[in-house]
Amino acid sequence: MATKIINKTVTEFSLRITRCFFVPSKAIQTNAALFQERSETSITNVEEQLLPTIRPPLPIIYSRKLAFPPKFKAVRQAWVSNMDTVEEEKLGLIDLHPEVFAERPRVDIIHENVRWQQLYRHVSYANTKVRYEVRGGGRKPRPQKGSGRSRHGSIRSPIWRGGGIVHGPRSPTPYFYMLSFNARLNGLRSTLSAKLAQDDLHIVDSLDIPTDDPSYLEKLVEERGWGPAVLFVDDNDIMPLNITAASDVHGHYNLMPVYGLNVHSMLKHHTLVLTLAAVERIEERLLFHLNRNDAAEAGRKHRLDSL
Amino acid sequence: MASAAARSFVFRQHINTCRLDFASCLNIKSFYSSYSANPKEKSPEHYTQYHEVSSDNWKFVERLKPPTVVPSFPKNGSYFSDWTPPPDTPPNLPYFVKRTKNFMVPVYLNFEAIRNQRKITMVKHIEGDIWAMEKDIKSHLEEVTKRPVVSQVHEVGMYIKFRGDYALHVKKWLLNAGF
Repeated sequence: MATKIINKTVTEFSLRITRCFFVPSKAIQTNAALFQERSETSITNVEEQLLPTIRPPLPIIYSRKLAFPPKFKAVRQAWVSNMDTVEEEKLGLIDLHPEVFAERPRVDIIHENVRWQQLYRHVSYANTKVRYEVRGGGRKPRPQKGSGRSRHGSIRSPIWRGGGIVHGPRSPTPYFYMLSFNARLNGLRSTLSAKLAQDDLHIVDSLDIPTDDPSYLEKLVEERGWGPAVLFVDDNDIMPLNITAASDVHGHYNLMPVYGLNVHSMLKHHTLVLTLAAVERIEERLLFHLNRNDAAEAGRKHRLDSL
Repeated sequence: MASAAARSFVFRQHINTCRLDFASCLNIKSFYSSYSANPKEKSPEHYTQYHEVSSDNWKFVERLKPPTVVPSFPKNGSYFSDWTPPPDTPPNLPYFVKRTKNFMVPVYLNFEAIRNQRKITMVKHIEGDIWAMEKDIKSHLEEVTKRPVVSQVHEVGMYIKFRGDYALHVKKWLLNAGF
């Protein structure tokens, strides 16, 4: 398979919800041209990938013109490293917008997001029978008067042993609910910021690796102190063939496009690896939603495609 | 434009190649419930005619469209309300209050607690020493209103709540402090 969007905890529904944050918009002027545009299908010629890549002299400072430049907050910087050698090579520094990558992490909002992601697809099948569903009990057990005993109309009444259950769980019970738009938005910001602050977020130029051998990826992760579980995020959902094949044998190395990025997956993996294109797209989309003019439209409930 | 029948033939061809190689069918066109998949549907030219008069005037249409992000305020220096633009330099204080995306001071009057009977003044978007800020605003409010003010500081969310309707007092204080 050329695409690999494997995160077993993320359903198609989750992708649809989170995708809406990252749908491209022409409204924001991005500096995407600064970054190397990668072709959609870099899967054809393996020999081509074995050739050494040509780079400008190091270090490259990826100084960007940030959209919505922060007025009072310092711009956060992060190293950009490579993936084409096992040993980490610092290619340069990149400026990150503090409102996306240096927010004060709200652990409560992160928890809200994780709980929501676990619950919205949960359906409880626990079930109990009410008095009408328990077998028997249609006949009056004894006459109303004259026996000297208590009055009863059914042996399956809830006060009888073996009778029906009152207010028990009924199946199926969906636990679906929608988290508010701002809670989802702030959840992404908080988690990205927490990951960066804890040195669990790494930025690479691209996901191109020279071989499809899984041991290469294992050595790379071991050498750089990542992982064990690593989530690689790229802007494009058609990933390079080599990293797709190399990560395919391991369940804890996962590839994900930006539109699938979500709080649960970021927390589930120890390390988050973003490509430059992914950083650009994430920043652009989150800043757009933070500054959009029609916030009421964004906050409308249960409209997956118009968030 | 290819007819719908021809397109569906191409689609079937794609499905056949799909079994052989996934990469070759990446450009599959999915019709889903589109009306254009209907074989009776004809090309748009059959139903309507249009003439492109001028594309130069499109800029006037663009001008009518609402902005997608909040535009910046006019920097002419005179405004018709009490609103003042955010400062260029932050005041020399251990704390800072960021304006909202609409350039307003983030002070809100909420109705909370028992059937929304309790008036709560809330200051959001605080950065820095939140306790010093709470102390300053509280002493100011007590001085102005001549009565004790109850407050709550939320360090994780970085906001302060005051019990009572002090929204205008707090707004004025923040503007005077230079936020």
